Amino acid sequence: MHRISRRAMLAGTAGLIAAPRLARAQAVKPRLTVISQWSAGSDGAAITALGKKFEEKGGTWQHSPVPGFTTEMMNKLRAQIMAGDPPACSQLKGPEIAAWSKIAATVNLDALVAAAGYEKVVAPDLAKLHKPGGKWISLPLQIYSTNMLFLSKRAMDKAKADKIPVTWDDFNALAEKMKAGGVAYPIANGGTRPDDGQKFEAALAGLSPAAYRTAIMNLDDKALKGPEVKAAFAQVRRIADWMDPNTAAQHYSTNLQRFVAGDMGMMIQGGWAQGVLLNAGFKLDDFIIAPGPSDNSKPVFLLNADAFIFWQRKEPDLQAGQTLMAQLVMDPAIQTMYSQITGSIPVRTDVDLSAAGWSDGQRRTAAALKEAVAANQAVLSLAHNMAQENGMTAAMIDVLTEYVKNKAITPEQGVSRLSNAVEGAR
Amino acid sequence: MRETTFAPSRMLIYLLVLMIAAAYLVPLLVVVLNSLRTAEEIAQTSMIGWPKQWAWGNYLVAWGDFCIAQTCAGIRPYMLNSALVTIPATIVSTLLGAVAGYAVSLWRFRGDRWIYGVVTLGIFLPQQMRLLPWTIVLRDLGLTNTLTGLVMIHTIQGLSFTTLFCRNYYSAIPQELIRAARIDGAGFYRIFWRIVLPLSPPILIVTVIWQFTHIWNEFLYGVTFTTGQQQPVTAALIALSASIADIPQHGVQSAAVMIAALPTLLVYLFGGRYFVRGLTAGAVK
Amino acid sequence: MTEAVPAAARTGQRRAAVNGLRRLPEFLTIWVPLLLSAGHLIAFALWTLWISFTPSTLVPVSGWVGLRNYTAMMATRNWQIAFDNLLVFGSGFVLLSVLTGLALAILLDQRIRGENVLRSIFLYPLAVSFVVTGTVWSWLLNPGIGIQKLVNDLGWTSFRFDWLIDRDMAIWTIVIAAVWQSSGFAMALFLAGLRSVDGDLIKAAQIDGAGPVRMYRRVILPTLWPITVTVVVIQLQFAITTFDLVRALTGGGPGTATQLPALVVYDFMFQRGLLARGAAAAVLMLLILLAVLLPYAAWQYLQRRQSAHA
Repeated sequence: MHRISRRAMLAGTAGLIAAPRLARAQAVKPRLTVISQWSAGSDGAAITALGKKFEEKGGTWQHSPVPGFTTEMMNKLRAQIMAGDPPACSQLKGPEIAAWSKIAATVNLDALVAAAGYEKVVAPDLAKLHKPGGKWISLPLQIYSTNMLFLSKRAMDKAKADKIPVTWDDFNALAEKMKAGGVAYPIANGGTRPDDGQKFEAALAGLSPAAYRTAIMNLDDKALKGPEVKAAFAQVRRIADWMDPNTAAQHYSTNLQRFVAGDMGMMIQGGWAQGVLLNAGFKLDDFIIAPGPSDNSKPVFLLNADAFIFWQRKEPDLQAGQTLMAQLVMDPAIQTMYSQITGSIPVRTDVDLSAAGWSDGQRRTAAALKEAVAANQAVLSLAHNMAQENGMTAAMIDVLTEYVKNKAITPEQGVSRLSNAVEGAR
Repeated sequence: MRETTFAPSRMLIYLLVLMIAAAYLVPLLVVVLNSLRTAEEIAQTSMIGWPKQWAWGNYLVAWGDFCIAQTCAGIRPYMLNSALVTIPATIVSTLLGAVAGYAVSLWRFRGDRWIYGVVTLGIFLPQQMRLLPWTIVLRDLGLTNTLTGLVMIHTIQGLSFTTLFCRNYYSAIPQELIRAARIDGAGFYRIFWRIVLPLSPPILIVTVIWQFTHIWNEFLYGVTFTTGQQQPVTAALIALSASIADIPQHGVQSAAVMIAALPTLLVYLFGGRYFVRGLTAGAVK
Repeated sequence: MTEAVPAAARTGQRRAAVNGLRRLPEFLTIWVPLLLSAGHLIAFALWTLWISFTPSTLVPVSGWVGLRNYTAMMATRNWQIAFDNLLVFGSGFVLLSVLTGLALAILLDQRIRGENVLRSIFLYPLAVSFVVTGTVWSWLLNPGIGIQKLVNDLGWTSFRFDWLIDRDMAIWTIVIAAVWQSSGFAMALFLAGLRSVDGDLIKAAQIDGAGPVRMYRRVILPTLWPITVTVVVIQLQFAITTFDLVRALTGGGPGTATQLPALVVYDFMFQRGLLARGAAAAVLMLLILLAVLLPYAAWQYLQRRQSAHA
């Protein structure tokens, strides 16, 4: 038996103490099971790119896109949760995050959020949605505005107008001018449920963001029966009258051809419409993007934000995967990559959009968000399930979509139906 | 067969039939034409129109290229999944339905009318009422997210229709035939094998066609109870069309729809005559 | 099993036991599938019934809220519109589908050439999935791009066929698409029935000098009665459970004008995360179904009693 040198013994002991941590880090390759509805188009491309980044960092990416829209994704999520096998990470957004967090255990992300300093760079109204119990359980990834104003250049020429409308009065005046100039249908919106919801929320938030907050986000009964809501209904009626009845129930993309050609004038759509227009073969010169109408002098921003929620799993590789995913989602470079693919804007307010790769529309949207947040006029979209849970949203949109399609319903009736629907769905 | 001898009215009949046939063909024509148009052309003109350029490539993209998230294998793998679910479920549910129909119609036993009634009332139970209960059953059996689970669901659910069809058909078989065989000492299986089964091809074909079509075209369970690469072709079709930030790829989508519909179309094309024949002679009374 | 092989008294218990054992495979083959089928149907229906009395929202939970979900559902415009629509759609579709199927069968029965091709043309819609049917018909019935536009372009500019966007007529567009899809099945059944009419009856009528119309009315159509009942049952099933077709064709719109109970159930159970409300709607749907089927079953029972006593 030879004498072990003291140094060797110290080295050995140090090695023993270090070994477990090293072994843990080496033994656990991060893995992530993800469910989302993003299977095709730019959404599919973006999440695939995110997956590649995940794998570059050494993880195993297991994404199961659920074909269809959000309901199918939620069905799948529900089935997995009921089967006791929730995915490590899934797409979810809005107040549904709070609702779903009650039925299955989620991961507390406070430490990771603090480490990344994320909370400072997220709009406060948005952040609240992701901290239902006071703790971060989900992370927003990208933001869309639902009330951007799209103007057809050719229709503007027909109307001999060159000023971009700022208030709702400007908007109405421009629509009349377009009609006089030969634009058959000044409004190119479609008639799907979210679209009808967008018309109303843009009207109400543009007229009075404060009233929007109290009535739609807080469901205050007095505000729901108030004059601003009635005025919003009246504005929606004007918009509906300026639409083509033949395509009144269609998706807005069926109107794009006529919009670009100048037979239709304006669209109040989410920022994603830019991507749709470009993918359809139209050019950036064909249209102008501006913030939606706002009656006070500051922009109003109707927020729609996608997010990932993390479900508690016992497996160490999934836990490591969740940590890695959270870090990626909060990373400004990743948000830049994601938003540049989908046409949204990053959640982080500290990303500089003057660099290359961003469109003017995105820059304008980001600037609008910043101003709106500063003026406390960034509110949550009703039409895209950000303001209320799905049940309440659907009940309200039932009223709105019927109102848009049925010219016989007066604004007063619209108001009473809306407040009744809210009461019934409480 | 009746002889009809009114000549000018025959012209009228032919005219009527051809007009109606044309109306029935229009939807198919629209889809076929769309499958040969490019997405930009459709977006820039309209959903119904004659192709300006012939985009044959749509079929190649639909078959092997288009991407669902990170997997760019087109519709091919999903067709295989659909086959793996539809073929076993169709065969098993048809066979079990035949035996059950045979038992209920030709072997009287206690409670046969009641259980037959419940089984056939099952055709009216809507899908939505079954979704969550099946989730629970699959979980308890450990079959979540497996094709086996899907086969089991479709087999058990298919029993309602298959028993209905087969029982009605078999009830036309004369009882004397059975009685004679029993007196000769034949039992349950022997009679089924020797007498009933040889008489069955018409109704079996009807049942197989019906089940194949319904299971192949089914969407709700296919999406909810499978995942990722195992999904059936109906799920892949929806994945093609649901996208908020793009125009729908109508050209490739139509091509995919045609490819996905090919098996069932072929089944009806070749099985059509047997379908009618199988319903003759008191098949479904 | 009743009606055993003539078991004389001398066989005794042992023989009966051996018989019973030999019967076990038969027993299993018959009862296992039937019990699985009937069992799962009853269990699922009861489970839905149970859920409808709980406060379940996103996932099933226990609890008791009495009839609150039922009263809430029946008070929604969605349900009221869906109920009215079901009556209109159900009766319109079943009637039209039966008549179309019968007409097609009669036409095809006239020994015309190319019967095989024509039969395939009328049958192929059955092979198409409901989603595809709904989507294609939504294009065809769209006034801006479909039939109305075609006729307008051909010169008849005042022609209007805009049911799809008309809140009162939209339900009929669903009838059109549904009849296109399923009248082939009715046709096949009726054709089979026509072909199996007793040849002697025909000859007798011909001898009596009956013309073709009289022939149909007096001899052929009456023998089609049992098949008609089957056609009606299968079409009724389609009308009640139809979901994918409506979703793809109108999405329940314009507005909420083409809501149907199956859509309301899915909407409330899954889209709105209100399981208990949706379950209540589902139970209401089943009650409507019973209201239609029970009279029929009672009538069948009476028929059987009558023929038993005759």
